[in-house]
Amino acid sequence: MATETSERGRSARERFVGAFASRANRLGITAGPALVWLFLLLLTPLTFMVAVSFTSVDTFTYQIIWEPTLANYDQLFAGEGPFWQTAFFQSLALSYFIAAVTTVLCLVLAFPLAYLLARRGGTTFKVVIFLVLLPFFTMYLVRAYSWYLMFGPSGVLNSTLMRIGITDGPLGIFNYGVPAIIVGLTHAYFPYMLLSLYASLDGLDFSLTEAARDLGASRAETLRDVILPLVLPGIISGSLFVFVPALGAFITPRFLGQGKVLMIGQLIESRINSLYAIGYGSAASMFIVASIVVAFALAFRYVSIEDLGGV
Amino acid sequence: MATETDSGTETERGTPTERGTGTRILDHERKEWLLGRGLYVVAGALLVFLWIPLAVMIVLSFTVNASTFFPFRGVTLAHYGATFADEALMRSLWHSVQVATIAASIATLLGVLASFALARFAFPLKEAYRTFGILPMVIPGVVLGIALLIYFRTLLPQLFGITIVPGFWTVVLTHSVYGLPFVLLIVTSRLYTFDESLEEAARDLGADPLTVFRDVTLPIVAPAIGAGFLFAWIRSFEDFIRAFFVRGTMDVLTTSMFSMIKYGTAPKMNAISSFIVLVIAVVLAVAMNVGNVSGMVAGTEGEEE
Repeated sequence: MATETSERGRSARERFVGAFASRANRLGITAGPALVWLFLLLLTPLTFMVAVSFTSVDTFTYQIIWEPTLANYDQLFAGEGPFWQTAFFQSLALSYFIAAVTTVLCLVLAFPLAYLLARRGGTTFKVVIFLVLLPFFTMYLVRAYSWYLMFGPSGVLNSTLMRIGITDGPLGIFNYGVPAIIVGLTHAYFPYMLLSLYASLDGLDFSLTEAARDLGASRAETLRDVILPLVLPGIISGSLFVFVPALGAFITPRFLGQGKVLMIGQLIESRINSLYAIGYGSAASMFIVASIVVAFALAFRYVSIEDLGGV
Repeated sequence: MATETDSGTETERGTPTERGTGTRILDHERKEWLLGRGLYVVAGALLVFLWIPLAVMIVLSFTVNASTFFPFRGVTLAHYGATFADEALMRSLWHSVQVATIAASIATLLGVLASFALARFAFPLKEAYRTFGILPMVIPGVVLGIALLIYFRTLLPQLFGITIVPGFWTVVLTHSVYGLPFVLLIVTSRLYTFDESLEEAARDLGADPLTVFRDVTLPIVAPAIGAGFLFAWIRSFEDFIRAFFVRGTMDVLTTSMFSMIKYGTAPKMNAISSFIVLVIAVVLAVAMNVGNVSGMVAGTEGEEE
């Protein structure tokens, strides 16, 4: 009995190994499953989303009527006045603005810290990286919520200032709105920028900067002509990973805007959830997708896909 | 970038007018010292910025008045008691743990296999395959959530006659796709630095392919697989927007927290959030001492809504 089981065990093992014998089989087994998964749960839904954006939905049965129409796109830009006064266009423009300011802010703030981390090793590095990573790993929702407590007319910032006696009433700047959203998004995506820049700066040969200085370049010139070109892939991939999610943000504007600011993600969500307007939502989503395709196309002129992974 | 600096601390110190004459006014060493200090000041200020809202929230989780400091009414543990006694909240926490574990397992299995395909084989449309594999991380949550909602709710039943009621499994499926890129990026980067001659040596010494995989390949790749799993797990656990669309009537932790903020129940929100910060702090401290977490992280900038 014992030998028979081990015989069977061996043959199962041999069959398993045998399945990997040919190159085609190995490729099929390794590449296949993910391909099937991505095809079923990513490519098909996204393709259909594009299709749905050109259809209409029966208002009673919520069934899609498969007749091509531009009504959804028309609706995005149709309103009382010209197209730039429609809710959709204003929210799209505002989202671009907020995402752009957030990206620049993250870049300016993260550069010095990334430089410090790249130049200093040891305990300083470990402690700082821990202090940076912990908020990074903390749930995004929790971080958005923590700023929600800070801002607002009776939030921690305003109530503390009033208590200390610096101001008499709540300050507008600490109320919910665009500044609060920018702070919240900067806090949320700052680590992406930092880690991208750090990955680039860490691979930088600092003897090059010393050489530049020895040859008479000023600090500014060294930064401009030596450091910046070499860390450009990091700057670009970091910017991409801040700009793209900031553009489609939902939670942060939802809580830190408190209804005063409508970013594109919220606009889409509200139409889908309250009206099940999937055609409208899909059409609006196409503008986010198109923006992202453009952003990546621009980025790929300077970096390769491997740079984005930091590999 | 017109200000003098070798470090990008242009926001910190050094005015344009100091350039040119500044080198003569400030002697070299003093300037180096100031630049060094400046860098630390900036770093310190940033850490304060990163930490202050979380610190405030943690303090508020222990105070009687849960949304602002003033008027201060005392310290209490009651919020924690109420939070852990909240059955609906604990149930959604348990859902999140289950969803994250199953989704991260699927993502890890598929991601590790795909990484081997990318690292070991040349095949047609390889770059397209790689891009396709990274895509779920790049597509904004709102878009992926809606696309999958339409897919599960409308297209599958209407066009293909397949009914998957949005709920636990739709969230698992969604998160398994979302987690895939994180595994893929970490494991491929590890495989690229892997010295394949080790495998060849083992084979030359008579090991069969399975033994080579188990005794040579796996131990070297295992930390990356573990890190990939952890990333996929955290991404699933903290994801709100994708789950929000495809969850049906099931609540995961993030959707419960969302309603808590929306309906203004700050005390429990502070407590559960602070508790999560604590858990993550412990896990991260352990992980950083076991493996090269920062190296891993640098290779996987992702997106979050």
